[in-house]
Parts: sequence; structure tokens; C-alpha cells
Amino acid sequence: MDEPDDVIHQPVRLRVMAALTALGSDEEGLDFARLKSLTGATDGNLGAHLDHLARAGYVEVTKAFVAKRPRTTMKASAKGRAAFARHVAFLRSIIART
Amino acid sequence: MTIRSDEAAAMLADVETVVARVKQSRIYRSAALCIILWGVVDLVRDILIAVGPRWFGPRWFLIDLIGVAGTLALLRNGASPASRFPFRILAAFALFYAFGWIWSDLLGQLGPREEMAFWPTLFLFGYALAGLWFGAAFSVIGLVLTALILAGYFWSGEAFVLWQAFVTGFGFMLCGLWMRRA
Repeated sequence: MDEPDDVIHQPVRLRVMAALTALGSDEEGLDFARLKSLTGATDGNLGAHLDHLARAGYVEVTKAFVAKRPRTTMKASAKGRAAFARHVAFLRSIIART
Repeated sequence: MTIRSDEAAAMLADVETVVARVKQSRIYRSAALCIILWGVVDLVRDILIAVGPRWFGPRWFLIDLIGVAGTLALLRNGASPASRFPFRILAAFALFYAFGWIWSDLLGQLGPREEMAFWPTLFLFGYALAGLWFGAAFSVIGLVLTALILAGYFWSGEAFVLWQAFVTGFGFMLCGLWMRRA
């Protein structure tokens, strides 16, 4: 692979994908607050980046009510996992070349 | 788009930091429920010992068995369907109780007050060690609660059983809630 993934390349989106792909595909996803704390992003910033990832089909967003409270959970899709793995391989290849 | 080698290294370091935090958070969250459970078990057990020392004093182990069964059930529920029964945890419990029995009854022959201090500090020693591998929160719990138990042993007088109930019961519950948010 010779090109970075333009969607994942942005630092906040890279952290989001790192966090979501660290979970197994059969595990429950991460909620918004947890993702915010892991990425160090603000509410608005994280929301915009999640939209971007969701539009690319890299992230699946599930909205549900838990104990009468709305809860938004994010998971990496199979497409997102593959794209993230390719992007990380690309970054490693840059280091390996030097 | 051109990415320099140092930028790529920084991005990969960022990725590794986030992955490590997710893994630690997962460990803390699965441990937190067990720690809260043990807070409830310890609180109930020590209050029962305070209320009926003759009956519950020698039978505290039966109440602990509820905690062991609950821990195994919680870990089994939290695991993926493909994973097996948590035999290692069961073995760890068996080793701790066997070691504790050898030194408290077989060789040490501790008095009731010493036993009350010995058993929780034995398990808290395990927490302090676990923290070296699984996250500092475990060590903090182990060391802080051990210090409080020793303080109660030396200075709480006749109220030691209730001190234990308060320290280990509410201590574990608070620590578990703290770990859930970590």
C-alpha cells in the first residue's frame, strides 16, 4: 500500500479507530463519553469525526435506551477494521523504509 | 500526501497509547463488578460475625463461597461465548485459601482478631501484586485497604469487626465504582 487512508489519517479519527478496533468484533462497542475520554476530543469535534467515519462505512453507530436514558454506542465495521489495518501497515512501511 | 518517518512513528505511538488504554479500561471494568460484589460479601459477612460471632465466626468461609461463585459467574458472563470457564481464577482462589489456611490455622494458629486482619490482607496483597501487571488501581486498592485494616487492628479496640465491615465492605464498593469510571 502506497497511500494513507484519507479518512483515518486525521489524528482524532485515527485514535477513534484505534480505540474501536482494540475491541473484538463480538464485543460491545464504546459509548460516546468513553470515546471522548480516550481520544481527548471535545463533544462537537468527536461528533463531527464520528459522522465522517460513519459516512465512510468505517463505524457503526447504535442508538438505544438503557434505563430510560439514550445511549449511543460505536463499533468498528469490518470495512473499518480492514482500512485501519491497511493504514497502520502503511505507517509501518514508512518507518521500515528509513 | 507525504508523511515523514517521524510523523508515522508519532501516529503509531498514538495508536499504541489508545489501544493500551482501551485494554486497561476493559480489565478495570470487568474487575470492577467483582470488586463491588466482594464489598457486599465482606460487609454482610463481617456484620454477621459482629452480630453472631459464635455461629458466624467459624463459618465465615461459607459466605466467602458465595463471593467466589459470584465472581466466577460475573467473569463467565463478561467473557466472549467462545472463551472457557475461568479455571485460572478458580485456581487462584483455591491457592489463596489453601495458603491462608496453612498459615492461619495449621502453622500459625492465629487468634480471632489476627485472623480477621490476616485474611483480607492476604487477598489485598494479591491486589497489590496484580497492579504491577494489570494497572496501578489494583495496587492502590491493595495498599490503601491494607493500611486501613492495620490501623483498625491496632487502634479500633472492640470495634475491630465493625471497622473491618466498614473498611473492606464500603472500601471495595467505592473502589469498584472508581474503577468502572477509570
